[in-house]
Amino acid sequence: MDRRTFLKTAAAAGGVLASARSVQAQPLSALGPLASARKTRHLVLVAFAGGVRTRETFGSPQNVPTLQALADDGVLYTRARTSNLGHFGAALAIFTGLAEQRGIRENTRSDDVTLFEYLRKDLGWGPNEAWIATSGGAQQVNYAYGTHSDYGSKYGANTLDGEGIFNREFKSLLDTWGRPRTWSEAEERQLAALRACLASRKGAAAAQAGAAQVERFLLQELTRGTADLTGPNASDAKALRVARNLLVLFRPRITAVVLQDADIAHGNYGGYVEVVRRNDEALGTLWQAVKQDPELADSTAIIVVPEFGRDRDLNSRRGLDHGDGSEDLAYVSCTCWGPDFKKKAIVKEDVGVVDVTPTICDLFGAKSRLARGKRLPGLYA
Amino acid sequence: MMIAMAPRIPGLSLFFNVFLGVGTEYERTAQDEPVDARSLRSLAIDLLGRPPLSAEWQRWSVLPRARLLDELVGGADFWSHWFDEQLYYFLLVNNFRPQQERLAAAPRELFEKRLEVREALHRVALSSSFDQRNPGADTFVTVVMEQLAGLEVAKNTRELEIGKKVYDGSVGTFLGATAQSQADVVRNAIESRFFAPHFLRREHERLVRAKPESAELAAWSARLEQDPRSFPVLVRSWLEGPLYAARLTQGAPLENRAFARALFVDLADRLPAFEEAEPLREALDSLADSAPLRSITARMLLDSGKLKLPARAELPDASAWVGAQFSRLLGRAPAEAELAGFVKVLDEPGAKVETVLYALVSSPEYNRC
Repeated sequence: MDRRTFLKTAAAAGGVLASARSVQAQPLSALGPLASARKTRHLVLVAFAGGVRTRETFGSPQNVPTLQALADDGVLYTRARTSNLGHFGAALAIFTGLAEQRGIRENTRSDDVTLFEYLRKDLGWGPNEAWIATSGGAQQVNYAYGTHSDYGSKYGANTLDGEGIFNREFKSLLDTWGRPRTWSEAEERQLAALRACLASRKGAAAAQAGAAQVERFLLQELTRGTADLTGPNASDAKALRVARNLLVLFRPRITAVVLQDADIAHGNYGGYVEVVRRNDEALGTLWQAVKQDPELADSTAIIVVPEFGRDRDLNSRRGLDHGDGSEDLAYVSCTCWGPDFKKKAIVKEDVGVVDVTPTICDLFGAKSRLARGKRLPGLYA
Repeated sequence: MMIAMAPRIPGLSLFFNVFLGVGTEYERTAQDEPVDARSLRSLAIDLLGRPPLSAEWQRWSVLPRARLLDELVGGADFWSHWFDEQLYYFLLVNNFRPQQERLAAAPRELFEKRLEVREALHRVALSSSFDQRNPGADTFVTVVMEQLAGLEVAKNTRELEIGKKVYDGSVGTFLGATAQSQADVVRNAIESRFFAPHFLRREHERLVRAKPESAELAAWSARLEQDPRSFPVLVRSWLEGPLYAARLTQGAPLENRAFARALFVDLADRLPAFEEAEPLREALDSLADSAPLRSITARMLLDSGKLKLPARAELPDASAWVGAQFSRLLGRAPAEAELAGFVKVLDEPGAKVETVLYALVSSPEYNRC
């Protein structure tokens, strides 16, 4: 009997499930007594997604010098079990600690709670402390938060899809219309007066806190050349670059990145390997930025994990699908590097990608109450 | 045939709604009255994907509700928007947006009744864009089962495995009929008994923002099975029902793709070109909270100097102008304090109408419909 079946059975018997879905935040003092003693203050979680086998990463270390270096200086889990739920569902499982079936093209939020919500609610983090940079378009903004009544959007992450916002066409639209000018003090004052009028109406909705800061970041980023990135991993490169810039500018407590371009493998094995190589290189740039920042260097952890692997054998188009149930598909490698983690450690026992959320929550002192994964074993130094 | 024509022929619509049993005493009365500004804006956004242009406001705001629905449901803009929404549902956007002439012609053929919704979706799912969006047997068959037939693959793993073999050229019975190719996978899903309920459920949720009752859904499905061209009649009946009345009362979030079009309509009084709306939609969709980028875009248009906006000095009656902007952009009259506050700002030296318009289109209220 798996945990899901167990919970359903228990619920039928005594209403356990109903109570399990209604949770209260605990006072900070009750959470993770060890967390305050830890050195990690920032974390970068990279869902090395799109379907990436270990064969092309740690099985061919020349493809991934950055990942190899992270593993050499951290902890490598060689058997992280995944679920073949489609890219969307499988990547979402990394962020919720729950492997639930989702439609491949489902473009809605689930009622599962994300690690961003656990962290922000339990630890009182502000709206700009949690970010996700994605590369897969509209669907991936659903990773930001779920619809659970005890959590939800007010505890969600800011999500920014690099390929979406930094598409060349949008940049050219800005170029055509011209960038917004700086308004005079009088105009800003008048605007504030007008907004106050609108806000004074009974039932008026409040504007989102921190929106102005995000607005400034977006305008800056649009001028930095992110839209000009090209190549087979252009979307992923934009996501990683956005993450790097977010990290250095906002220094969020958690920055997640969701990659996707490796899925080119369905019809192009060579292209897939090239995406893996380039993403590793971009990850190296991000790591360098962390190491060069005095505040981030000794206080930042990095976790990298694919959502699942790919089939064992090439398909008729000499590409790699994901649906054969093989070990290449079902098990991936998970790399953890950071000031609180062991060095040069390899863990060969089975873990799960759903263990990432409970591990990160534990690291910071939050509780992933509804996740089904466990804390990764053998992680802490 | 007559029923299919009803939405386009004023007068016939009411007759057929009563004939279909969808009318109520409230609705029969309401049919004769023009809709309020907020409802007009919401109806246009739901059905056409944008608010009315100025000329349309003039015409539609005085039409009885039934006549208004005659104009909106089943027209060329209705079908164009419907088709765009279907492509978005299948996530056939950005690089995956179909470019083929046969697909580009679909909205026009739907409007001219040379095509019906089932055939249109069949055409979409057979396109190379759909194939490229969903590469490989596992992904393709899963998406067909989920998006065309509404089936959960986790509960239908045997069907998935059969479908994958069929996709690769083996003979099998997939969703109740013999199949031997990728195209057969699509055809069988479209022709299966699962198609109509799933399609109508999601369309009802898209337009009415509510799940339909099972009994109603079964009746609508039977009707669509019998007459695939009856979809506009069904839409019409939903718009006249209590659930849609509740949707209008409660309001709903303005989706990014509607915002991208609404902003151009509201500020420039024109529809955006595809090259304007689509990159903006894509950029907005890239944020979990798109408010900051919506704000940037509004500033981009207002600061451009390219909009035909009156200068403050050209407004003969600031109160009337403010009232008109509230009605058009928020679908309501300003409260007394709002009107006074807005006019006061406009009366300051150097005040600009752009500031007022920006305050309105960047407000949380504008971002609902």
